[in-house]
Amino acid sequence: MDHGDTTGPIVQVRRRVRASAEQIFDLWTKPDLMVRWMSPFPGAVDCKATCDLRPGGAFSLAMVSGESRRDVSGTYVQIDRPRKLVFTWIGPLTNNVNTLVTVELNPRGDETDLVLTHERLPTPAICEGHTRGWGNILDHLADAVSKDL
Amino acid sequence: MIATETRKEAASRAARLDAVFAALADPTRRAIIERLSRSEARVTEVAEPFPMSLNAVSKHIRVLEASGVVERHRKGRDHILSINTRSLDEVDGWIVRTRRYWEERLDAMERLLRELKKSGPKDRKRGSR
Repeated sequence: MDHGDTTGPIVQVRRRVRASAEQIFDLWTKPDLMVRWMSPFPGAVDCKATCDLRPGGAFSLAMVSGESRRDVSGTYVQIDRPRKLVFTWIGPLTNNVNTLVTVELNPRGDETDLVLTHERLPTPAICEGHTRGWGNILDHLADAVSKDL
Repeated sequence: MIATETRKEAASRAARLDAVFAALADPTRRAIIERLSRSEARVTEVAEPFPMSLNAVSKHIRVLEASGVVERHRKGRDHILSINTRSLDEVDGWIVRTRRYWEERLDAMERLLRELKKSGPKDRKRGSR
């Protein structure tokens, strides 16, 4: 996948799921279903979800487990039920910077191929090399530098 | 842990990560990193295999230096380039954490699908457990 010069590396997860694309799409977009699987905390969790399912609409997830708390939010970019859902995502996982998540659902008979793509958004100023470095003395040498790129 | 980081530290970490990602977004720059991951090298050695001017390669090297991925030191008259692996460890860390996060979420999604299938479609109206 060629994203041109301004996009960072992406994480992509693919999976064949035993369910219809419609059913999976609903799990991603209906708050009462979202709260039942989106929380990363094991066991009993207080999870609240809101979503305004339209392009430009916001969603949020607030998850509390004992002392821990995790908030995720974002904005819907593209909604094409049941094939494609694109939304921005900001939370602890992304160091609280905006990222983009694309969920694509391709029906395969009774099953569905799910492709999830999570990418960081480009920062043009950095691409131009305008920011100064943050170099640190390295304490160990590279081995498999490019294995995930 | 993010929870114990101050906001400022988290923000600067995010900015560094963005700089590294931007630096890695270009195929020429990735090739330069691959070259330097084998051993440190002079600027001219790094530039040699590329079908572009030394000036064009130098521009890419400057982007890599600005992001902190590549460091430069002098040995006599030569400018030696090497990789700062810490910067790439951070990228690696983000990729690994993000992949693990979604794999776990999709596991949970599939568990819920099985649960819903067992209890029938009416269950979908129910709220959280």
